[in-house]
Amino acid sequence: MATKEELLEELIEAVVEYEEEDCVEAAQKVLDNPDVITPMEGVLDGLAAGMEKVGVLFDTHEYFVPEVLMCADALYAGLDILRPHIEKDDSASKASVVLGSVQGDVHDIGKNLVKMMFDIAGWDVYDLGRDVPLEDFVEKQLDTGSDVLAMSAMMTTTMLGMKKVIAMVKEKNPDCLIMLGGAPLTRDVANLFGADGYAESAGNAVSEGIKMIGNLRKYEKGEIA
Amino acid sequence: MAALTGKERVMKMFQKEPIDRMPCFSGQGTVTVQAIEKMGTQFSKIHNDAELMAGAALTSARLWDLDGLVIPFDMAAVAEAMGRGVSLYDAAEGIIYPTVPNKWRDLDEISVPEDFMSKGRMPIIDDAFKILKKDAPDLAIGAWVLGPFTFGGQIMELDILLKGLKKKKEQTEAFLSQMTKVTIDLCKHYESLGVDFICVREMGSGTDLLSPRMWKTLIGPNLKLVFDAISVPSINHICGSTDMIIEMMHECGADALSVDQKNNLVETREKVGNDVLLLGNFDPYGTLTTMEDTAEVADVIKKCIDDGVDSVWPGCDIWPDVKKENMETYVQTVKEYGAKASPAVKRI
Ligand code: B12
Repeated sequence: MATKEELLEELIEAVVEYEEEDCVEAAQKVLDNPDVITPMEGVLDGLAAGMEKVGVLFDTHEYFVPEVLMCADALYAGLDILRPHIEKDDSASKASVVLGSVQGDVHDIGKNLVKMMFDIAGWDVYDLGRDVPLEDFVEKQLDTGSDVLAMSAMMTTTMLGMKKVIAMVKEKNPDCLIMLGGAPLTRDVANLFGADGYAESAGNAVSEGIKMIGNLRKYEKGEIA
Repeated sequence: MAALTGKERVMKMFQKEPIDRMPCFSGQGTVTVQAIEKMGTQFSKIHNDAELMAGAALTSARLWDLDGLVIPFDMAAVAEAMGRGVSLYDAAEGIIYPTVPNKWRDLDEISVPEDFMSKGRMPIIDDAFKILKKDAPDLAIGAWVLGPFTFGGQIMELDILLKGLKKKKEQTEAFLSQMTKVTIDLCKHYESLGVDFICVREMGSGTDLLSPRMWKTLIGPNLKLVFDAISVPSINHICGSTDMIIEMMHECGADALSVDQKNNLVETREKVGNDVLLLGNFDPYGTLTTMEDTAEVADVIKKCIDDGVDSVWPGCDIWPDVKKENMETYVQTVKEYGAKASPAVKRI
């Protein structure tokens, strides 16, 4: 019988080597071995760990964007199998995010990687795609009551649309947390626009989201001003 | 001796013949809001009307006293002519470039219509060139096209194309060959309209996205076919990271290389030698639109010249919303500081 380490290693390798079918098989094996490993462990310590390795390969110029996209496909193939079996855990209460690239911006490769990270983390993700009219962000956020609204812009100019969305959303729903990202942004710009969070890369997006929600809850409980 | 016209200055530069000073022009959009305002129109309208397109390019060139101009302004026209639609953002405030809303999702779906050159806004672009040939005989009139790979990413989803480069290599290669043919046909068409130079922008192919190895096998050979086919002066422009591929870019055979601010120009000059025309490499938005002090602008332009360009080119389209003083400083600095010879072009 396979050990937990072996099963995780198979998942990691399938993601890193962008082998979709191997990833499906490895995920299936996780489900077949409930005594050794939980689906959640498979996602976090297998799939996500694989993607972390991919990030390193990308940073060291061993992988380029095509490889990263294929690794993401392999990861999703595994995630599709494992996720339905992850037990709903109320204490971690499922967070949700509305996500998209702002109007006039068709750059969406980075945004899609951010989406993947939220998917891995088990969030409910409402992806509006790219070139999203500014009002659509507001509408979708109000519709879904999502915890977070995340926007991506890759151009210095489309970035300005984010500021307008923030003003519109905050007017109607002051509690909505807004996270920004994309190459021309910095934490300073995000602050200036009135956002609650910023992440430089997909890898940091989820932890930033969780931090934002954590802060909001503390604030609501009166722990921070 | 009479001063050279802008067109003479630019054409002599491409021939590497001595000129009076560095030409000031670009193969990427140089339309600015000041010209659009002067014409009493809007950015979203100048893509869709031959008079306005030609007028916006020419008014900008005259306003800033540039040596050349280039149309069209957006990269969506050919995809639109192939039936992929266009978003012009008429109702949006501010400047938003047209984009392509309905890309093909799959390589198998693609069918390039034979007659795309007469569809969509293509005839408008033709008419705009005709107007410019008539109204601006003293200026170098340029066309720009996307490189085969980047163009492919305009008619089909780029992520699928990128993955195809690895997963469906043969089919993707065949698709890129087809895109190369389209690109060549388009260049030939623009040549038949009498354009003075053609800038080929393979902008999605820098090492931000592709490995140098992929560039070598999938991008370079197709670009070489394109440059072999073009008979007017040609420019090989790539924005983003180009340090790792600049020598291969050079091997593609264009008359000039153009790079953006991410390129280490001093090193590039060393790699390709003094005989090659190098154009670049300032950040247009970060310089012309945002800088508060014209002295800073002058420094940026001087640095390009000191680093060894033969003409100072913005790394991308000039963002139309430039500050008047910054634009003036850019042009003035090129004229004055560019009075001396550049590595590949001597002075009269
Ligand atoms: C690929 C690309 C394109 C493709 C886009 C295809 C697609 N489906 O995405 C095409 C060829 C279509 C394209 C077109 C254009 N492009 Co372009 N493009 C690029 C390029 C080369 C790479 C972008 C990319 O995908 N990077 C890889 C991903 C993984 O990284 P990323 O996007 O930065 O995302 C990461 C982080 O930023 C972050 N992140 C991103 N979004 C979010 C959101 C949140 C919430 C969070 C937390 C984090 C986060 O996480 C991601 C993963 O770690 C860049 C150059 C560059 N080096 O960035 C230029 C660039 C972005 N483009 C640029 C320009 C100007 C254009 C055009 C206007 C060109 C033209 N003149 O017509 C058009 C405009 C299109 C439009 N209207 O949107 C400029 C922008 C300049 C500026 N500062 O304004 C750049 C920087 C190139 C340059 N040097 O000039 N482009």
